[in-house]
Formats: sequence, C-alpha cells, structure tokens
Amino acid sequence: MRRVRGPVFPLLRHPLAPLSRTGRVVVCVLFALWAFAMSVAWSPAHADDSQAAPAEGPYFQLPGGDPAIDRLPLKSTQVEARIAGVIADVTITQRYKNEGQRPIEARYVFPGSTRAAVHAMQVRLGGRVLNAKIEEKQRARIQHESAKREGKTSALLEQERPNVFQMNVANILPGDDILVELHYTELVAPTEGRYEFVFPTVVGPRYHKPSTAGGSSSFPATPHLKEGEAPSSTFAMTVRFASPLPVGELRSPSHGIEVAGEGTPQAEVTVNDTTPHNRDFILHYRLAGERTATGLTLFKGEGPDGGGENFFLAVVEPPRAIAPAQINPREYVFVVDISGSMHGYPLDTAKVLLRNLIGHLRPTDTFNVLLFSGSSQMLSPAPVAATRANIDRAIATIDQARGGGSTEIVPALKRIAALPKASDVSRSVIVVTDGYVTVENEVFQLVRKNLGNSNVFAFGIGTSVNRHLIEGIARAGQGEPFVVTKPEMAAAQAERLRKMIDAPVLTQIKARFDGLEVYDVEPATLNALPDVLGGRPVLLYGKWRGEPRGQLVLEGQAATGTHTDVVPVRAPDADASALRHLWARSRIQQLSDQEALEGGSGQREAITALGLHYSLLTQYTSFIAIDQIVRTSEAAVPVNQPLPLPQGVSNLAVGEVGAAVPSTPEPAAWLSLLVVLGLVGAALSRRGKW
Amino acid sequence: MQLVTSMWKRPRAAFIGTAPVLACRPSYLSPLGWLALQAAALWPHGAWMARRVQDGSDEPLGLAALALLLMLLVARSHTLRIAPHTGWLAASALLTLLANAALLAAPPLLCALVGAMALAAALMAWLPVRGPRAPLAGLVMLALPLISSLQYYGGYPLRVLTAQLSAWALQAAGIAAERAGTSMLVRGQLVIVDAPCSGVQMVWMAWFCACAVAALTALRDGDFLRRLPAVGALVLVGNVLRNTLLVALESRPQGLGETLHQGIGLAVLAMVCTAVAITMKGARHDDLA
Repeated sequence: MRRVRGPVFPLLRHPLAPLSRTGRVVVCVLFALWAFAMSVAWSPAHADDSQAAPAEGPYFQLPGGDPAIDRLPLKSTQVEARIAGVIADVTITQRYKNEGQRPIEARYVFPGSTRAAVHAMQVRLGGRVLNAKIEEKQRARIQHESAKREGKTSALLEQERPNVFQMNVANILPGDDILVELHYTELVAPTEGRYEFVFPTVVGPRYHKPSTAGGSSSFPATPHLKEGEAPSSTFAMTVRFASPLPVGELRSPSHGIEVAGEGTPQAEVTVNDTTPHNRDFILHYRLAGERTATGLTLFKGEGPDGGGENFFLAVVEPPRAIAPAQINPREYVFVVDISGSMHGYPLDTAKVLLRNLIGHLRPTDTFNVLLFSGSSQMLSPAPVAATRANIDRAIATIDQARGGGSTEIVPALKRIAALPKASDVSRSVIVVTDGYVTVENEVFQLVRKNLGNSNVFAFGIGTSVNRHLIEGIARAGQGEPFVVTKPEMAAAQAERLRKMIDAPVLTQIKARFDGLEVYDVEPATLNALPDVLGGRPVLLYGKWRGEPRGQLVLEGQAATGTHTDVVPVRAPDADASALRHLWARSRIQQLSDQEALEGGSGQREAITALGLHYSLLTQYTSFIAIDQIVRTSEAAVPVNQPLPLPQGVSNLAVGEVGAAVPSTPEPAAWLSLLVVLGLVGAALSRRGKW
Repeated sequence: MQLVTSMWKRPRAAFIGTAPVLACRPSYLSPLGWLALQAAALWPHGAWMARRVQDGSDEPLGLAALALLLMLLVARSHTLRIAPHTGWLAASALLTLLANAALLAAPPLLCALVGAMALAAALMAWLPVRGPRAPLAGLVMLALPLISSLQYYGGYPLRVLTAQLSAWALQAAGIAAERAGTSMLVRGQLVIVDAPCSGVQMVWMAWFCACAVAALTALRDGDFLRRLPAVGALVLVGNVLRNTLLVALESRPQGLGETLHQGIGLAVLAMVCTAVAITMKGARHDDLA
C-alpha cells in the first residue's frame, strides 16, 4: 500500500479530498450563478433563420445569430432636397457596408413621399458607377436573382406601395462599401399660402392578415426594433431652396433644424437633430408676402424632330373661405382606430382631437362614434343629437379606450356604409387612424363604392402615419386628408375641418384653355373638377402642342358667387423638365385609383408602359443595377435591415399581431432551470428528512 | 486562498493509505485525467455542440447537465476506481472510434449521440459498481443539444395528446371544449397548443431532476431505470394540468396576463419535479463529496 503520487494540480490528484461544508456551499452557489448566466446569455433560442422565408407581417428582430453575418448593413441615409418653386428634387443616398465575414443580400423596406416620382437610381461600388435601368417588375426580379446566383453584385428597387419601397442589394462582400442613390421629384403645393415639405423616414408596422387567414393583400415582412431601441444607421438631411421669391417662416414641427439664409431665395435648412430618425421630417415655409409660386408652367420637350412631348403644370390658388350666414345641420360619424399600434401616445393624441371635434358640434348636429380594432363597437345604434350629455358620454367612451388588438378597418367601414341615412341630411365620415394596414386598395374601393353619399375625411394620427391611406381615403371620399403628429396640433386641425365642412371654398369648378392646345390632361374631366374644400390649390397636369400662348380660365362657385381665375400662358421654362415625371406620376396615380376601384390588375399594361417610357418606379416597374463582374462563389445570406418603431408607437403594434390567437407556452427556460436547481438544492439540504 | 484551502476536507490518512494502486496506468494521471482524455478524443462532437449553443439553434440547457456532471465527478473523484472495468473501457474506445468515423456519413446529432454513449461507457468503466452510474450516464445524454430534436420528432404527438387530454379534463369540469388537430376551441375561443406548449422542456427538466436526485442520493442503477417510466408519466400529467389551467384561463374574455402565465407554468413544473425527486430519491443520502 502506497499513496498515489499526483501532480501539483489538485483536480488531477487521486484520490481527491472531499468537499468541506463551505466548499459545498461555494460549489452550489457557483453552479447556480453559472447556470443562470449561461441560460440568460443564450435564452431564448434564436435560430439562424436567415435562409427561411419570413412570416407575413411585421415581427421583432431577434438579437444574436451568426456573428460572421452583419445583420445591420445599412450604415447611413443622406438626403439632399432642392426645392425650386413648387417642385422638389430629392436625392437619397443609402450607404451599405458589410462588416461581417460572409457575403450578404441586404433587404431594406423604406418609406417615400406619396407624391414621389422616383426616376433614377445609381450604385457606386469600388470607384465604379452603375446606372440602374427601369424594367418590368418580374423581369427585373429574374435578372436580380440570376445575378445573385452568379455572384454579381446587384441592386433592385421595387415599389410595394406608392409610399413604401424595398431595396435589395445582393452580394455585398465582406468589407464592401456600397452607395445607392435614388432620385425623385415631387410637387410641393401650398395650402392657404403655406408650403409643407415632408420626408418620411420609417415605415410603421402594418397590420397584415396573412393569406392563410383570408387576407388578400401582400406586403413585405418587416423586422422591427423594440420600442425605445434606436436604429443603428445615421440620418442626415439638407434642404436647399432655389426659389424665385424669398423664403421665410422656415419651421419644423418634427425635428431640430439649422437655417441659413432665411428671407433670401437661397435659404438652406439642415437637420441637426441627433435623435433617431423614427418619424416624418416636416418642414413648413412661406414665400415672401402673400405670394406663392403658382401659375401655369410650361416645358418644351426636345424630340428627334424637334417635336417631342411638351408638358404643363397649372397650380391655381382658390379664393379665401368665407363663413356662410346660414349653416345647415349635419350628421357626423367618427370612425376611430383603437388597435395596438394606436396604444399610448397616438391614441392620446386622437382623444384630444376627438374632444375638439365632438366638443364643438352644434346642438342641431347629430353624431355617432365607432371604435374599431379587431372588432368594432358603436356608441349608439342610431346617430344622437349633439347635446352636452351625449357629447360627454361619447368622450367618456373614447377616454376608456386603451388601444390593443388588430386593425380590421374594412369591416368597420362596411358597418358605416350600412348605416341608414336620411336623404336630406348631409353626412361627414371622419376616419381617425395611423393607417398601419396593408389593405389600402380595399379601403379605397369601399369608400368610393359605398360611401359616395358622404364626404369622407381622414385624420392620420402619429409621427409617421401611412399617408398613402390617409390621402387615398380623402381622395376616394371627396374629402380632405389631415395629419396630426402631436396633441398640440389637434385643436387647429379640428377647427380647419369645421371650417372646411361649413364652407367649401370652391364648388362646380370648370377649367378651359383658350388659345393653347392641350391633351392628356389630369384630371381628364375639365368640366367637372373636384370641389376645393380647404385652401389647397387646383392642380392640372397635361401636355400641349403648337405655340405657347393663350390662357387658362378657371371658374367655380364660391361663397361670394361665381369666381373666375385667369392664368396667362408664360414662355416655356427650360428648367422645368421635372414636369415630364410629374405628369406621368399623376397619370399613374389616376390609373392606380381606377384599378383599385375595379379590383384586379386591369391597368397593368398601361401603368407598365408609362413606367418604362418615362423611367418611373411603379407597382409594375422596378429599377435594377447589375455589376457585370462575378465577385463571389459563396451564396449571399439574406439580411433584413430592422426598422425602428415610429416615435410614440408601442411594442403592441407588432406584438398584438403575433398574439392574435392565445397559446400556452411553457415558462422561460432559465426560470424553469432555476426552479429545478432550487428544488434539488432544497431536497439535498433536507436530506434524511424527506 | 484561504477560501480555496478551506473548500477541501483534510485527507483522511487511513483512506489514502488504503487506496489501491493501478499497475496498468501511469501513476501521474488520475481517473479524472483519463476521462478528460476520453472527452478530448471526442472534440469534434464537443465543437459541434458548442456551435449549436452559440448559434442559438437550441436551448443551452445541456450546459447545466454538463456542469452538474463535472461537479459530481470532481466531488466523487475519490470514489473512482483505480482499476477500470476493461469491458466498459473497450466499449468506450470502440464507440469513440465509431462516433468519429460516423462523422463522415451520419448527421452530427447522431454522431454526438454515439460520442455521448462512448463517454457514458467510460464513466461506467471508472465509476464504482455500487455507486449511481446510470444517472451520470443520463446527464451525459442530457448534455447534448436535444431540445430542438425532441421538439421536432416528439413535439407533435405530445401536443396532440396534451390537447386531447386537456379537452377531456375541461369537459369533465363542465367547460365546452373540443380539440381540432393541435388546437382547442374552448368557450368558442381558439387556443393553439403549438410547439412551445408541447411539454418537451418539462420532459428535459424532469429527466435532469431525476438524474440529479438519483446521483446525489446514490440511487442504485436498477432502481433508477425501473423508476424512469414514472418520470414520463408525471411529466405528461403535469403538462396536461398546466395546459388545462392555462387554456381555461386564456379563453376568458379578459385573457391571462404574462406574469400569471409564467407563474402557473413554474408552479406546475415545481410540483412535477418535487414528485420526481421523491420518486427518485435513493436509500442513502450521500454527501456531495
């Protein structure tokens, strides 16, 4: 018998001395801490699902995954806008950089202005410039997939909605620094003498009913960061004016700005806000005095035979509204979204707005309120008189709403359409929502077909509303769109609506061109133009031929009687080439509205032809840029750039969608493990007693 | 330093003095060293397990089983045999070769399973015959990233069984409930029994608890294996109870809060594991060391 001679390290010595009482306690504590740390660090499981097709609708981006994959490839967005008169030329530069070790395909869903005519795209890669070409959507997608498989870098820009785009940049190799530039043009028309330039920065989480659950719309699945998480990419914006008149009263209700040259025609605005870009950038301004850059602008095209297409744009300001002496009683129906995305700040803003709207009704008016989310509830079966008691009851009902659930706006509007209506009563339907749905076309169709006997006004509530839905509802319902980003704006917007309903500015509007031959005019019905309810100008786009002479005559009925505006034809402006794109964009919008009304895709060919001819991004045409150099043989990993939640929007906007059907999952793994370890420890500490 | 020194009991001279000497192994390598070498030979499987934990494709619960196994081996190292059982040692060597060779053809989980069996055989070779060996072998198996695979292969039948038994339980309590696939319609409200509801995690927890208690209370291997089916039955009953309670509460108009949801799940798990611990306790209440 002799003792085994072991090494110095005690664990390899045999036999090992047994643990003392202190040792046992220390081991137990260390083990519990270690298990806790391990479980928390890696739980819950987050599989690398990058190859899997994501579910429909919004979802939260899970942290972690393969560290070799850069999951945040978008590093910055830089926007430069140049505003000349009523036309804004905007260049967006998105910078993608792969800081991982594997090639990736970056997918980024981003917003745009509802009026944007996206007409060009360029890709800068390693000192080379690739000019994108416009292609039919399916053809572009095939080319992109083919280039991706071959290992070429390819950028594909698609339109998901008129104000939502998707960028796919395939084969971004490790270390690549790629700049993608988009160019768009839009019209910035004045309202009551004030201009508003809006640049949306984030797409809000849209409630989407999957096709398996009976949904009919499609929308890309969007990954979102949780409430309060800041986006990883940076944002910079500059607006430069090249105005015929001095620019003044430059204010931004959304961002902190630095202004240079205010009061001069060459003013410059820079966003100096370091807060995350999670809301629309809004810039208000006026031109010197009471004048606006309105009138009739002509552009003469240069064709091969000198007879290319010529375009015009007429922006005619309406007269000021005058309150009528006698106001007929009206019926108001308020349709209020109380879904998950409205929870918190947006719903609080909506409540302030509704208190202003409902609280100021006249006793002769009647009203009703419908609150909707997954289902809907009416204040009363029939409209009630706007007495103090009824108004208080309605406000109390609205105040009790907390926000939660899905956004079933179509059934809610169907319920409104089914309400009986007296023929002698004029009804106004006021829809209050953030617009985070994907059924825009169904809504427009419903409003046009079933709410034709009412004026429909849409209030977008929030810092980054779906303006496509808000403006589309107003257009389909012959009403006006409003956007309220904060409670302080509610009173003014409510007052604006009241004035608008009480006293339309101009009705029975007709337009004619004397001496100028025009064709393809938008809107086509020059003898029955839509009423002007607020201070928005009348807009006419079209083409002309022959000599640039004559005048535009606009006639309508104002509160003071017949109103006539005569706008002389000016000499063509050689710098107004943007009119080509603006006309085509207007025509595409009109065709899209027609298509939404008819259902299906009956205008596909016409829209595709316009998109290809005028090089415009549409729902049927896409921009694609392909590098002809084969750069990798390794398959690119798809990476979806996560989007921040819009300011004021809570996690419920995403979470409620997924939790539509309850389930009974087991408790968290680390909690379960702690319970089991605790039980085993407790059992051991009572050994001999159990 | 003082703490480290005080963690180990003073060696008993009589015990050390009577420790047998193994002629067939180098005197400078303890049984733990042999086991470490055995584990090192299985490094491809260990690397795969580490990757699975790192990429998040499975719950990291196996780490807890591995930690407990290591702790038990270190604490019981003085009881390890000086002369290993040659039959088990040979089996371990063969399984190690097989596990590594299988990497060329078989899926990684299957290879890792064979590797775990090799390690378990090595434990059988070194652990004393009278001590608890099967629970430690069980911990080796639980160290594998099993949850996802268990969920994939066993999740659906468990969900169907749980949903059906829950539906019967609710009907017995006078609540309108019926099962359709793995979903339930309770008081007109659809409640889904999806993958996270299958009870696979509870299965793992109960096995872990069973192995831990059996090992720590020195339950004989035969008894451990005989009582193992009871653990399965306890888990099934527990998961049905948990699911029934949650479904009944979720189907109310006001639903169920997250905290209460977690609380009920943990309470039922604690009940199941207490029952498992009572089932698996051994005759002796051994020290950790």
